[in-house]
Amino acid sequence: MNIELYMQSGIVESYALGLATPEEVDEFEQLLPHFPELKEALSDFEYHLELFSIDHEIPPPPGVRVKIEERIREMPDVRRAYRRGYYRRQHAEYVRAEVTDPYIRVHKVWRTWFIIFCIVSKIFLGLAIYYFVEYRHAQGEVLQLQRQLDKTQGASGGAGK
Amino acid sequence: MRRELHTGDRSVAEMLYTRYSGMLFSYILQFVPDEKEAATLLVDIFSRLTPKLQNGFDSHLSVYCWLQVESRKIILEHLHETTKEGGQTRTYYFSLLEDAPPEHQWVFRELFLNGRKKEELAACSGKDLAYISKILRECLVMIRKNLG
Repeated sequence: MNIELYMQSGIVESYALGLATPEEVDEFEQLLPHFPELKEALSDFEYHLELFSIDHEIPPPPGVRVKIEERIREMPDVRRAYRRGYYRRQHAEYVRAEVTDPYIRVHKVWRTWFIIFCIVSKIFLGLAIYYFVEYRHAQGEVLQLQRQLDKTQGASGGAGK
Repeated sequence: MRRELHTGDRSVAEMLYTRYSGMLFSYILQFVPDEKEAATLLVDIFSRLTPKLQNGFDSHLSVYCWLQVESRKIILEHLHETTKEGGQTRTYYFSLLEDAPPEHQWVFRELFLNGRKKEELAACSGKDLAYISKILRECLVMIRKNLG
């Protein structure tokens, strides 16, 4: 293929301006990796097109930016991604680091909860021991009373005979 | 831009808007005469193309050229829905064809601004397809020459 002739057909400009047909686009994209001069011509045209656009730019009316941001945020996929991005920005002071030591680090708030848990568990343990002792004591008294009752019944039974 | 996008330093929409909104707004104005309508189209273009930016990175075109090509599709879709025709409201690319004969300007306008096909132009002008392709080629050569 005569690449010079191909480039003179205006294919580079057609491709960059979006005027090329799907068949022309396919052919151009297939040739692009094999001909560096084609790639160079495309980059050159794109560069000049961008310079031209910069020279002719007109600032859009105020408020357009906000409308775009709102519209993008309304999209479900983008909304999720945006939230993730927002979260990252909010926590930007934290740096992800590889930890090699064997200790587990937890948030400070867990210290308070741990202290509360220890105190409450000790109170419950104390109460459990107290009620256990009380129960054993009560059980002992019941047994003692039972024996006394048996003795009394035995004595009164013997006297009756 | 690709690097900034991946590091997430700034939001993609913000980055695209800062760099290309003015350029795209003037690009749209060559198709649509009304500034209000052009602004609405700009909102539509940015909101539709920002989530597809990866396609732009994957294409053989630069980000700006990709934006232009995709914007043109959206603009032509809008013009088709509103049964309007693209008007030569701002000179923009036509300033590069100032010295071209009226027939050349007509061919470029119909193909570029109104999104008509070469076959359609050949049929309505009574010329053959090769002739329309030749005129378009001459227009594109002229644009390249005047851009450089």
